[in-house]
Amino acid sequence: MKTAKQILIIIIIGVLFGLTANAINPKGVPLILEKNIYALDTAKQKKTIDGFVNDPYDTTSKKTSNNMMSGNMNKEGFIEPETITMELAKNLFERNALFVDARNKEEYDSLHVKGSINLPYEEFRNKSIRDRIEIMKKYNKDGVIVVYCRGDKCEVSIDLAYEIARLGFNSVNIYRGGIKEWKEKGFPTQP
Amino acid sequence: MTNFLSNKYFQIALRVVLGIVFIYASVGKLFRPEDFAKAILRYEFLPIYFVNIMAIVMPWVEFFTGVLLISGIFKKASSIIASISLVVFLIALISAFARGLDISCGCFSLEETSTKGDIIYRIVQDFFMLAGTIIVYKFSNVKKIQETVSAEEVN
Repeated sequence: MKTAKQILIIIIIGVLFGLTANAINPKGVPLILEKNIYALDTAKQKKTIDGFVNDPYDTTSKKTSNNMMSGNMNKEGFIEPETITMELAKNLFERNALFVDARNKEEYDSLHVKGSINLPYEEFRNKSIRDRIEIMKKYNKDGVIVVYCRGDKCEVSIDLAYEIARLGFNSVNIYRGGIKEWKEKGFPTQP
Repeated sequence: MTNFLSNKYFQIALRVVLGIVFIYASVGKLFRPEDFAKAILRYEFLPIYFVNIMAIVMPWVEFFTGVLLISGIFKKASSIIASISLVVFLIALISAFARGLDISCGCFSLEETSTKGDIIYRIVQDFFMLAGTIIVYKFSNVKKIQETVSAEEVN
């Protein structure tokens, strides 16, 4: 009985501290999660193709499809990345969108989307903002970027997409199917 | 065996080790409920309504459990809480493994991108820790009880 009381005390203290810490934490979360706001899987497919051709390396070009820029500016002041379907990813691939592989180098070297570049999230995250800008400055901020990782439930693509979007890229998209689905569909890969 | 398990110094060492692991595992999560909630979501284990509240409260309970284990206050209570949490983690880990979820554990770091080998490693680790917390629970007061019993016999 005494032990039961002590257990209760520990849990109550834990709850009190947890609630307080969450309340004063600027990154606190709502107590009840009503829908999975963390996963982007449920994002509506708003973007469509309107026959543009992208040039990721032309930093002067502003001619991105308006439809591909339909993302919303968020409170932090950057355009939120959006999840895209396999069909749209393939379409964008054919229109020369910049594919970014968020996995590590070994995984990238073994197989990646044809023409994609490798920006391992783990490394990118640890770089300073200046280094990140340095890396990304050769790409068009108004160009269309598609970030992917392994597929399944991998999340580094989401994380990397947000980091890229924070640098001011206006059409960052996340392809959740990843290399796994891409390969299964027989779409172009390297090496 | 009982003698060894209930040895005062063995008990202290065990509690300190377990306590450190609990504190270590919780500290990184105390002020990052969102990242921890994501880690919990990856398990597809809890009903979604409970995910945030778990992410808010669990690290703090873990943290205090660790502190109490080390300090030796509320030994029974803290070892019971530790055991229950470890059983819950075990069920979550094993079910994730059985369903073939390729997720990172979220046990210590919230960032680690791990492979299935890692989950097996965590499961084994969890079993050892559970054995430890059970030993703390069962044997922490054996000496005292024996002394009480012999004292009663004398009377």
